[in-house]
Amino acid sequence: MASSPNTSTLPTPRKKDESFFDKVGGTLGRRKSKKEALELQEEGKNAIDSPSSPTKADVGPEGYLLEENEERSMIDPMSRDDPKLKELIKLLLEWINDVLADDRIIVKDIEEDLFDGQILQKLIEKLANIKVEVPEVSQSELGQKQKLRVILEVINRILNLPRLGTWNQQKWSVDSVHSKNLVAILHLLVQLVRHFRAPIRLPENVRVFLVVVQKRDGMLQPRRVPEDITGTNEDVGGKFERDAFDTLFDHAPDKLNLVKKTLVTFVNKQLMKVNLEVQDIQSQFHDGVYLVILMGLLEEYFVPLHSFHLTPTEFDQKVHNVGFAFELMQDAGLPKPKSRPEDVVNLDLKCTLRVLYNIFTKYKDATVA
Amino acid sequence: MDDIFTKVREGNAMHVRVWLDNTENDLNQGDDHRFSLLHWAAREGQTKIVEMLIQRGARINATNMGDDTALHLACSHGHRDIVGMLLHHKANINAINEHGNTPLHYACFWNHDQIAEDLVNNGALVAMANKSDETPLDKAKPKVAKILTERAGSLGQDLHKIPFKDRSWLGYKTRSRDALLSRHAGINIEQLKLQGHMATTHSGEVWRGLWQGNDIVAKVLNLRECTVRNSRDFQEEFPRLRIFNHQNILPVLACCNQPPNLVVISQFMQYGSLYNVLHGETGIVVDQNQCLRFAIDIARGMEFLHTLEPLIPNMYLTSKHVMIDEDLTARINMGDYGFSFHEKGKLYSPGWMAPEALQKKPEEINMRAADMWSFAIVLYELETREVPFADLTPMEIGMKVALEGLRITIPPGISSHILRLLKICMNEDPGKRPRFDMIIPILEK
Repeated sequence: MASSPNTSTLPTPRKKDESFFDKVGGTLGRRKSKKEALELQEEGKNAIDSPSSPTKADVGPEGYLLEENEERSMIDPMSRDDPKLKELIKLLLEWINDVLADDRIIVKDIEEDLFDGQILQKLIEKLANIKVEVPEVSQSELGQKQKLRVILEVINRILNLPRLGTWNQQKWSVDSVHSKNLVAILHLLVQLVRHFRAPIRLPENVRVFLVVVQKRDGMLQPRRVPEDITGTNEDVGGKFERDAFDTLFDHAPDKLNLVKKTLVTFVNKQLMKVNLEVQDIQSQFHDGVYLVILMGLLEEYFVPLHSFHLTPTEFDQKVHNVGFAFELMQDAGLPKPKSRPEDVVNLDLKCTLRVLYNIFTKYKDATVA
Repeated sequence: MDDIFTKVREGNAMHVRVWLDNTENDLNQGDDHRFSLLHWAAREGQTKIVEMLIQRGARINATNMGDDTALHLACSHGHRDIVGMLLHHKANINAINEHGNTPLHYACFWNHDQIAEDLVNNGALVAMANKSDETPLDKAKPKVAKILTERAGSLGQDLHKIPFKDRSWLGYKTRSRDALLSRHAGINIEQLKLQGHMATTHSGEVWRGLWQGNDIVAKVLNLRECTVRNSRDFQEEFPRLRIFNHQNILPVLACCNQPPNLVVISQFMQYGSLYNVLHGETGIVVDQNQCLRFAIDIARGMEFLHTLEPLIPNMYLTSKHVMIDEDLTARINMGDYGFSFHEKGKLYSPGWMAPEALQKKPEEINMRAADMWSFAIVLYELETREVPFADLTPMEIGMKVALEGLRITIPPGISSHILRLLKICMNEDPGKRPRFDMIIPILEK
């Protein structure tokens, strides 16, 4: 329950001069004073309906007085300065801005800009190519939360996760996102990145520490609990169906060399014509150049040198090349490669072999002179 | 627009000029009786318009339904200046119509003595008999007949009667086209009577068919998937390919934009492409003169395309993209245009392309100069009957031409004029290559 919905966040660094309670209490208090009695009632109902939030995070300062054995958690301020975490946040922001570039939306702060569901709605609409029917903009907290609930339910359904609010749905909730809980928001975004196979490579093993405070015998007892945000990228592969290459890697590493050798022979037979030669599959295909040339040789066309980077140096250029080669493969009637261009560029041997094997299967018998 | 025939008859030169400037208008179209614009202008004595039409490439020897050429009409109506112009542009002086009459028959019958004399001076046969076994001399007044006989005799004509021979089965006559052809831009695929599958090429499936009684070929573009965007781009791009106002351009007649099918429709050309004529087995004898005529035709077509602003992109000159019409006119096939969304990043004929075009984006280079390089390769093909780099695959050709300085090798025995022309057209410095309007006079010489 380390990141349970009643988790609160510390103020972001730029607001360090404000005290935590000042901030939460202040803004919420102001909002509350404006509320109609009816709304209050509604909110009460809503709170009861949310099974996983015994106490709401935003009930005001008095909510933070703990009962015996109750606990609260917040992110350890030290964790925020972790370079890996900063990198992760930066990457996620860039990714969101990339996805939403067409909508002219720019997200600057991962906590401050996502909590009301507006951006999340655009994001999931774009990623899944769907339309989520929710009111446009809502100023009231209640409206925002209702909207957020709809959106998160859609996201959970797409991600094949349990329904929102059930006991095993722990990583994010309406309340945790709405209260700008960094950990919950990160979990949510990382899952989206993984699910939609976003073209970014997340730093591995990003971990934050949470300070969990529990009241025992009338005393507040703090303790530090680690929370994994990304794990390793290898886990991601496990989600997709296993193929012959997984089996090969796991059970017959000795045969791997044979496969490599066959592929190298096949590839060189083609590349020889333009005075190129491959020795190492893993490293010599990663920039996509040979893949593009290989397709041209096999399908009998020339690829004008302006449509790819003949001597790529940047990561982006290599990704472009591999992506372009993938397009050419699909044009030639090959199935859409299971690997992502980024995997090939990142020297993932298994992915590179899959791509080459795919080509090999189609052309091995062709008597291309 | 329907009234262009009237405008021609009235001699409204201004209107006709504007009409001709519109690429969608076909100057060789015919009216209900297959009278072309040139027929009408020649008949009505509209000298200026005749001149304009000839200049724009009207077919001199097109026939109407009665197999009359423009020369027949000019002779019967006594327009001597027009007769002169038509003869100068190689009108067939002894063309016969459905009655077996030559232009000279009419000049004699209508007593246009001077025209008759001009005709004989230019080689019209006085002894040619029509279907009723009458020669032009039988039609003329005795006095004129005597003069003409003498003149013909002094020019060495055999004065024995040449009996009428029906040659129409040869099918060498070129009727003016159905005017309806250029009026339809987008049509329904159902309207095409697709009869047979001709070929599967890298760019699409090619079918033969009939559309409104015309032999057509329909190319169904080869696309992995046809998106809404593809369909929209298609709709935007194809109208520019409907160029009917130049005889050395083979227009796209119409298109069907019915995703997932995008279809490009062109006229059927029985001889196929120049590539086919030169390297295939068509049985057409292509002698040195014919080669030169092809080269001039192509140069004229390219010159015209180069006057368009902006230039039509992705239109690469190769012998595969030049079609040969029934009268052996070479015409650049707009149907071989590469749609912006189609076959991206693939060049199937790099052997014809300039080195800089293989390396850089079209907008970064002078495309007109690059086309001149391609023309040089076609010229080489015409001279040598060799496929450039025949023993290499496209990828090899492209890499070697672009990066390793591979060039065609010109065999010995080629005429020194052509050799010089090849060298200037293939100058390594694109800026030093000539323009098409500069090489046409050289070719004509």
